[in-house]
Amino acid sequence: MDWTRKVNPVTVIKKKPKSDDNLARTYYVICWNDPVNLMVYVTHVFMKIFGWNKQKAEKHMMEVHEQEKSVLVREGAEKAEFYVHQLQNYKLHATMEPAE
Amino acid sequence: MKLVKQRGETWQYELNQVEADLLKQLLKNLPFTGNVPVKISKADADPKSIEREKLLNESLAEHRKELKKQANNLIVAGKLNSGEKGHLLALSAEEREILLQILNDIRVGCWQALGEPETMELHTPRDSKPAQAYQRLMDLAGYFEHHLVGT
Repeated sequence: MDWTRKVNPVTVIKKKPKSDDNLARTYYVICWNDPVNLMVYVTHVFMKIFGWNKQKAEKHMMEVHEQEKSVLVREGAEKAEFYVHQLQNYKLHATMEPAE
Repeated sequence: MKLVKQRGETWQYELNQVEADLLKQLLKNLPFTGNVPVKISKADADPKSIEREKLLNESLAEHRKELKKQANNLIVAGKLNSGEKGHLLALSAEEREILLQILNDIRVGCWQALGEPETMELHTPRDSKPAQAYQRLMDLAGYFEHHLVGT
């Protein structure tokens, strides 16, 4: 056996364990249907809060109306929370749900 | 109520005497209902979610107090003035949003007071007097909302 032969060292990369701090969790901001908010009002609120044009805002409003809910955006916790506060200030039924 | 002029960030609406009186009455009586706690998520509550929900409800309660102040300002600051054909309501973009939020707060509050009915059926003479009153206020708030954003 040739004891002089050089052996390349093996690099072992240890994976860090996953934790909440390392993962950037995202959330869906969802608007739910209710029978009280006017369609024209919901469209207006979507345009105001998200800066959407009327066409996009109406598309989401119709989703809420016909499918009982619409996923408005997917964001990190802080921004999702901000949007829920904004939507709730206008008395829309909005929640943030983990996107997993 | 109709939009008569929009220039930049300013909206001007014309209201007849009845509309002006009803709007003033609506704004004077805010809020009609107490705070109703809201959920921030439909998923199972974790500690972060509970904390977020607490913050949301505190923030909403503060926001309602602010709306009440703003409602008074909208009346006393001479936003609603007599004109040639009726009353003129001049609003900045921010004031328009505040007025919308106030009106919808009234509308949703009345709906909650009615027990959050799934269908918005026409009220009948069989309804109790308070229920009829809530229904009328809800319709009235909706009327003004529709004219504010629907024009």
